[in-house]
Amino acid sequence: MAGVALENWVERIRDPKIECMSRDEMADLQNRRLTEVVKKVYENVDFYRKKMQQRGVEPGDIKSIEDIEKLPFTTKEDLKNNYPFGLLAIPMKDVVRVQGTSGTTGKLTIAPYSQKDVEVWGECVARGLAMAGLTDEDIIHVCYGYGLFTGGLGLDYGAKALGATAIPMSAGNTKRQMMVMEDLGATAFACTPSYALYLAESIQEAGLVDHMKLKAGIHGAEPWTEEMRKKIESILHINCFDIYGLCEITGPGVAQDCIHKAGLHVHADYFYPEVLNPSTHEKCEDGETGELVFTTLAKEAMPLIRYRTKDLTSIDHSPCECGRTLPRISKFTGRTDDMKVIRGVNVFPTQVETALLSMGGVIAPHYMMIVDREDNMDVLTVMVEVDERVFSDEIRKLDALRSRIAATLRQALGVSVRVKLVEPKSIQRSEGKAVRVVDNRNL
Amino acid sequence: MIRQISVFVENQPGSMMNVTSVLTEAGVNIRAISTFDTPEFGIMRLVVDDPVCAKSSLTEKGFVTRVSDVTGVELKDEQGNLNQMLKILADGKINIDYIYSFVIREGKAPVMVFHTDDFEQAEKVLEAAGVKIMEEEEL
Repeated sequence: MAGVALENWVERIRDPKIECMSRDEMADLQNRRLTEVVKKVYENVDFYRKKMQQRGVEPGDIKSIEDIEKLPFTTKEDLKNNYPFGLLAIPMKDVVRVQGTSGTTGKLTIAPYSQKDVEVWGECVARGLAMAGLTDEDIIHVCYGYGLFTGGLGLDYGAKALGATAIPMSAGNTKRQMMVMEDLGATAFACTPSYALYLAESIQEAGLVDHMKLKAGIHGAEPWTEEMRKKIESILHINCFDIYGLCEITGPGVAQDCIHKAGLHVHADYFYPEVLNPSTHEKCEDGETGELVFTTLAKEAMPLIRYRTKDLTSIDHSPCECGRTLPRISKFTGRTDDMKVIRGVNVFPTQVETALLSMGGVIAPHYMMIVDREDNMDVLTVMVEVDERVFSDEIRKLDALRSRIAATLRQALGVSVRVKLVEPKSIQRSEGKAVRVVDNRNL
Repeated sequence: MIRQISVFVENQPGSMMNVTSVLTEAGVNIRAISTFDTPEFGIMRLVVDDPVCAKSSLTEKGFVTRVSDVTGVELKDEQGNLNQMLKILADGKINIDYIYSFVIREGKAPVMVFHTDDFEQAEKVLEAAGVKIMEEEEL
């Protein structure tokens, strides 16, 4: 049941030829693939051809990966405008499946796949599962939702490529999740980090931690903090890994961190990452935070050129202790679009979480941010659950606790915060993506 | 000495009823009740006939509770008796954090419940003055 400590860790690299490739060899591969994909979209997708013509760029101008800077960006707005199949680069009959995610305006953002795209997807997730120490002997309990959302099927394809046993639980019904996890002897589980924490707490409350054979958790689809990872790891005695992906690019498996937790290895042979200053679009130095932009180097159905993810991160090209040379992106500090500007101050939900957890286990990291505008003034309220550890019979002690939380948050966020103490478990636990912010300002 | 259960409740319609309905379902009898409120949350304090059962059923339903010791004192229903008890405590330099009373008990004397940081001394001065202190089995 226990996670493996670093000193006893056996690193498993699924495809050492690629994952540990020298930078020059990787650049050669990327040059080749970029040239091909640009030629392909220019010939097959009106949208790209027009955009490139507007910029005066022709496929022949793209000879190496450095030339990528000459290419135009693609945005979520472009996907919306070409919904559903306007960016398809292959005949519809060769599309074997479509995945999707909720778009900003009610319509879906969709991602079509060719047979090869599905295989590449599974391969990338399988690399991540190996990174998490898993082999074909493992039993992987997948409690991501199955359906249009890429989480469930992505992990399923990964388990299949690895030859492991997948248990396709999908999301919801925590009691049943625990029962199946125990009965079938799952050795790993995959879900969003907020649900992982909820599940871990439920397992602990039910006294079932020792009944589980879990050794690894694979969690992604929403930003989470190191503190949250440590909490899940310490409750379940496992190692947790951060998996990243987005539906438009392929789904989970675009990147994942290894046991050294030194950033998420990007499968840069398939997905070329750039980190750019969000306003000037200039390339960020290693370590500098900017917007993550991806180009799919081998996607057949819907290749994306310089797709702006709105995820903020930094990149590190140095080789990792695990032996991989794949570039690493840092844990996300948030998205350019879930950032809230409150009285002129940028506030990220992850900052609230980190601050609450920094209070040394005083407060459970279940919170909700509510942004209101009262008399033309932004007001941030943070709802925090009171549990047995902090509940006092005395109003003045609870008030003192509330002030302490408010002071901690004020310091962390740089903006004053109203703290509202609420009953335990009254903040909704998410079985998909956790909703941490409600903005009532109608901005 | 008797035990009191405190429950954290949000200040919104039905939140106290949620507590009492759990206790009703568990067959627990409420002997005394008082609430403290702020604009957003409150604390319900209860003396019940079965504090162990009350706590476990409330915890099971997701309420945050705390059990603490309080002193229950039986008074004769006569003018000036509460004043007299408070005088005994004041003379004994006992600080009372809060005080509340039992629901009316048929044919029995009224009981006041209070909380102090110094139980031993409080009970000592009350006993010395001949005041009857409630025990849990009498609830």
